[in-house]
Amino acid sequence: MRDNPAEQGDQLLEALLQQAARGEAAAFESVYDVIAGPVYGLIRKVLRDPAQSEEVTQEVLLEVWRTASRFDPSRGGAVAWVLTIAHRRAVDRVRSEAAATDREQRSVLPDALASDDVADSVAASLEAERVRRCLEGLTELQRQSITLAYYGGYTYTQVAKGLNVTLATVKARIRGGLIRLRDCLGVTW
Amino acid sequence: MRFVPRRRVHTLAGPYALDAVEAAERNRFERHLRGCRSCQQEVRAFTATATALGLAAAATPPARLRGRVLDAIATLEAARTGDPEIATVLAAPDARTTSAGTSAGGTATVVASTREGKLVFTSSGLPALPPERVYELWFIGAGGARPAGLVPPASGESTIPVLASGLEAGDKVGVTVEPAGGTTSPTTTPIVVMAVAA
Repeated sequence: MRDNPAEQGDQLLEALLQQAARGEAAAFESVYDVIAGPVYGLIRKVLRDPAQSEEVTQEVLLEVWRTASRFDPSRGGAVAWVLTIAHRRAVDRVRSEAAATDREQRSVLPDALASDDVADSVAASLEAERVRRCLEGLTELQRQSITLAYYGGYTYTQVAKGLNVTLATVKARIRGGLIRLRDCLGVTW
Repeated sequence: MRFVPRRRVHTLAGPYALDAVEAAERNRFERHLRGCRSCQQEVRAFTATATALGLAAAATPPARLRGRVLDAIATLEAARTGDPEIATVLAAPDARTTSAGTSAGGTATVVASTREGKLVFTSSGLPALPPERVYELWFIGAGGARPAGLVPPASGESTIPVLASGLEAGDKVGVTVEPAGGTTSPTTTPIVVMAVAA
């Protein structure tokens, strides 16, 4: 899909990353302007804590600068590359020992479920609206499994326990839900 | 290690693309992925789908973050160009960047490579100290804290990146305020302690 914002972002970001990898410092200002919002928003969605989200956003953007020359467009888009780094870092932080104990004790899974509406804290962009509509098209179990795993940062084992279903069920709901989302969003790759 | 039947491994593509697997299972799936074309295709499609979910969560970061990040990059870029040893650490395959706020204010940033046994430290927004005081770096391991050098003066918002050698696997990195010239063991409570290993 030509008009897919992710793909337009990919071409721009890919060119900027190449310039940044050559040491053109000014290029990274543009990298920041293109991607800092999605990186910060996604990390904030997973971590919730604003101060920690700022720290991890800085870590991720420095990591992107440092490893820009390793980005390989044949393995996926530039936006996906950056957001994968961001998501994994957020998940690492949330699963780090102290944080995990805290999560266990406070049992935040019900909270996460209660606010699984993507629209909270999300700028009312066309993209966000499209994603929200597509998420609504999933079965409840598919939607809960995917939002807890991706936005909540939980492992599928934790999701299974929280939703009181088997591991096989969660894996199947995540897979089925992602296929339906992919078709609904018209994702190309 | 638990044996996962081949048929079941395939069903991990979804959880894997959402980072919803634990480290051991992630490594196992990545080994499988190398030889599984259909899994590679599925992971790629699911990653693109997850990216759309990520973009939908976009939010405006605090305005101060832009200057802080770009300042840190400018100072690291200068160090990378000017100091081959720093360049080596920044390019090390196992290097990892960690940033953390300090109790004194400002942000400390470390790029550490256990394989090289070295790290690069820089910071932004650390409060200036009187001339008789200095920020000192420490490797903190099972045997206690080992001196890792002094934090150079700031140029603008950021302190000049400094290389520290002698990092061992499992070490954390700390910063304390010490008398000018530094000490051999910390005399004050660290303003920040960071887990830096990959």
